[in-house]
Order: sequence, then C-alpha cells, then structure tokens
Amino acid sequence: MSDLAELKARLRARAEHHLRLDAVRRLRRGAPSTFEPYRERGDGFWRLVFVPLYRRIPWPVKQRVMQTARMTARGWTPPRREPGEPWRPPRPRS
Amino acid sequence: MSQRLIVIGGGGAGTAAATIAKRLDPSLTVTVFTEFPDIAYSPCGIPFVHGREIPKFEDLFLSTVDRYREDGLDMRMETAVTDIDLDRGTITARNTHEGFDKLVIATGFHYEKPDVPGANLDGLHYVKDIRAAMEFDKALDAMKRVVVCGATPLGVEMAGNLGHRGLEVDFVDEGPWALSEVLDPDVAEPVHESLTKRGVTLRFGTKVEAFLGGDDGRVRAVATSAGELPCDAVVVCSNKLPNATLAKAAGIEIGTTGGIAVDERMRTNKPNVWAAGDVIEVPHGLTMLPVRGLTGAHAYAQGRTAAFDIVGRDAVYDPVWIPWGMVAGDYTIGGFSLGETLAQAIGVPYVLATGVGVSRARYYPGAQRTHVKLLAEPDTLKLIGGQVHGGEGVKERCDFLAFAAKRGATLEDIAWMENIYSPPIGALFEPMAIAAQNGLTALAAEREQVTT
Repeated sequence: MSDLAELKARLRARAEHHLRLDAVRRLRRGAPSTFEPYRERGDGFWRLVFVPLYRRIPWPVKQRVMQTARMTARGWTPPRREPGEPWRPPRPRS
Repeated sequence: MSQRLIVIGGGGAGTAAATIAKRLDPSLTVTVFTEFPDIAYSPCGIPFVHGREIPKFEDLFLSTVDRYREDGLDMRMETAVTDIDLDRGTITARNTHEGFDKLVIATGFHYEKPDVPGANLDGLHYVKDIRAAMEFDKALDAMKRVVVCGATPLGVEMAGNLGHRGLEVDFVDEGPWALSEVLDPDVAEPVHESLTKRGVTLRFGTKVEAFLGGDDGRVRAVATSAGELPCDAVVVCSNKLPNATLAKAAGIEIGTTGGIAVDERMRTNKPNVWAAGDVIEVPHGLTMLPVRGLTGAHAYAQGRTAAFDIVGRDAVYDPVWIPWGMVAGDYTIGGFSLGETLAQAIGVPYVLATGVGVSRARYYPGAQRTHVKLLAEPDTLKLIGGQVHGGEGVKERCDFLAFAAKRGATLEDIAWMENIYSPPIGALFEPMAIAAQNGLTALAAEREQVTT
C-alpha cells in the first residue's frame, strides 16, 4: 500500500471511530443497561471539530464528496433500485 | 496445454474458487496452497464446542483433504506462500517457484493484536485455527476465570459459551454495549440480560491497559481502566484485519479499508489475478463505500464468482446489503445493512418503523415475540436497514429484508406483503408487516399534522 493509501485508510478508520462514538453517546440515552464509552485522551480535533462539521453537511452532499474523492468502490454496478415516487399518506375516498 | 490456476488460501473463498473452477473446467490444473494442516471445517462453530452446545470438534469438519484430491485438486497443505511475482507469473513456497496462468488470492484475515504491554504472554488465545482451539478446550477444563476482550460477534459468542460452560467470564470492551459497532442499544438490552444470566460480567466502557504475567510467562490478570481482573486465560476477540501483505508486496491495489480492491467479478487491478473472502473489500449497496470482514457465506459466494470469471462464464457479485444474525447468550439477534447506530454515525437520514409480533400462532406452544425495526429513506420510504430480535425466524427475516432492500422495496411493500399463516410456523400477522404498518400510520399522522 502506498503512503497515500495508508494515510487514507488510517483517516477513514479514525473518522469512522469518532462518528460511531458520537452516535452511540446520543443513542444510549434512555438505554439503562448501557455504559459510557471509554474516552481517549487527545481526541479533541475529532470530537470538537470533525464530528460537528460532518454532521452539519447534508447526506446528498456527503455522497457527492465521497464519489468525487474516489472513496466509493470502482468497477461495480450500483444496485438497481427502481426509482420511487416520494411517499404520500393515503387520501380518504371522496 | 491445460492452464494452471493457483489458489492461495484454504478457507471458504479459496476452496469455493478452486472446486468450482475445476468443476466448470475439468481441463484446468488447480493447486491450492494453505499454511494449515486442515481444510473444509467451520471455524464459526468453535465457540459452540467450547460451550458444549456441539459435542466435539470433529463435527465441524465438512470434508477431507483426500476428498479434494479425489476431485482432482492438487492440495499443498501446511505450505505457506511467501512471495508472488506477477511479472514472471510465479509464486514462491518452501523456496520453490511455481508458475501459474491464473491466480486467486484468498489469504483471509488475522486478528488485530492488542497494542498494550503483555500482548505476547502465553495464555492469550485467538479463535481461528481448529487445532489451537482443541488444545485450548482441554486447558479450559482446569480453568475457573477467563477474560474475553472485545465485544465483537465472536466475543459475544465466546463470552456466552464460556459462561454456559460454567466459567466465570469478564467481558471487556471500550464501547458502551455489546456489538456497539452494529447493534442498536434497544437490541443490546436483552443481549446483556441473557449474557448476565449465563454468568458473564459485563465490563463495557472499559479499556484494556496491559496483560500482566506471572513468573512463568503466562497471563495472570488483565489491567483495565476499571481495575485489575485476575484470570487463567484471555480470549482476544479483536477486529479482523485482511491478510493483504503478499498482495501489497506484489503491487496489487489495496483499498481504503486495507483489503484488496476488486471489481464485481473479483478481479484485482492486475491481469489474471482474482481475490475473494476476508482479504478483499466490497461496496455496501446503499452507500457504495467499501466494507470488509463479512461472513463465510459472503466469502463462499465471492470465491464462486471468481471461479465463474476464471473459466469465462459471466457472473457478477452485487454490492452487499449484509444480512447478519447470531445467537447472543440465549437470545437471537440480527439485522441487515444499517441499524440506527450506523445510520446516525454515517449521517444517513431515515424514518423508523417498529413493531412486535409472534413467531407462531399466539396459542401454539413455543410462540415467541419477534421485534422488528425498519429504517427507510424519508421521501421514498425505500428500506435502507433494520434489526430483528427475538426467537425463531430472525435469520430468515433478515435474509428476506436484505434482498427486499436490494430490490428497492418500500415500507408500503412490506406493510402489504403476503405471509404464511400456519400455527406451528407462522402467525396470522407477520411481524415485519406489523412494523411497516405501524411506521406508515405514524408517518401519515405526522405528515397530516404538517399539512393541516
């Protein structure tokens, strides 16, 4: 693996770790048998800068960035999921 | 002249690629190299032998080396491949070069070694090789207390089974609940309850700081952020990392997860070289982001895809929706694609549909509650993930939901799905349909409020 590929892999692993920590901290509220996850020292950048910033970006923008940055798989056909109409609640018959 | 296929690795992906390629094209000379003395056994069954749910290790063997030889494969057991030279088309094993026309790399995974003092002590056990498991099982008879490190799927199985065997088990993980990388906290609750009933002490939110040894060089305790845990042995159930060193040294492209990057035919970036199983990464069906460390069923299907391509037949492996399931303690859990935890971590928007049904007719003996949680896209209501827990039928529901999501099914589709009603095997109301109906009702009320 080249240095750049190794750096990308390390960055992805760290980013995923901290995004997951943030998610579990929010979701564990109201789940009595859970524990406070262990907090490492020196995670300030990830916790205070990266995670809040990432959370503010809408999902479609994130997806576009991931594609542009070639973070998504190449050489694969995306799954065929028929385009759907936005769902609307059923209307009562007139 | 017949072509020679070399397969490196004798796990699920390697044996699938070798046997299917040979079956499809009998003229092919197929050689399998594996560093282990055994082949075609199920390592996934090991925790259940330790827990005495399965009587003996021999039951885990599905075939023999001789059987593969009878099928025409050249089996090189206990033979590690140390080098791949793609320019010359050779591999090196036992200081001998062997030529190939086509190559499959199915070198599997290894466990991440804990980066703390004492990680080389005796008494730290990794669950992988069946012979090491047999030795460990004998030693367990004389043990009283074991620490299981890592609340991964394997960790949960080992902790639950060692507890079932009557050992005192401390189950340590930095995360807030069991399987917190995939499982949602509401589903973790019954898992914790079941493990605790089996005598497992949960020590989550706890970091392993060192393994402490005695004068004999054997582990005697684990130092953690919450104090010292005396033990007779430690079972390390850390993350699985791809064994991609050989591939990397040969110049084969490695992806962002550290696994070999392949296309939908399991081809690497080098001509006539395929890869499959735990050593590769494949895209997730929803995000198209590469993921790795999937199941034996995935490995087998990937090996099969590679075999088809090797013999010139058209086969394509789809991005994955990852149906998964397991027994945690005495409780069955499962899911597909994303749960709430992962969806929130990645930032994928979703709406929820939840419901509880029964696995058989309510009056039929053995009926169990089945909990279903579905995640769907907020606008189209297409399924994007879910988790199912309870008793029987979890696996089948997760398999079905993963397939339904892959084909673009919506909550509306699930709410109106047909289902089998037969008292011993299925209730009148299907739990998945109940969840979807509940979700639609809640959404209709919510959106009605917005429009009025």
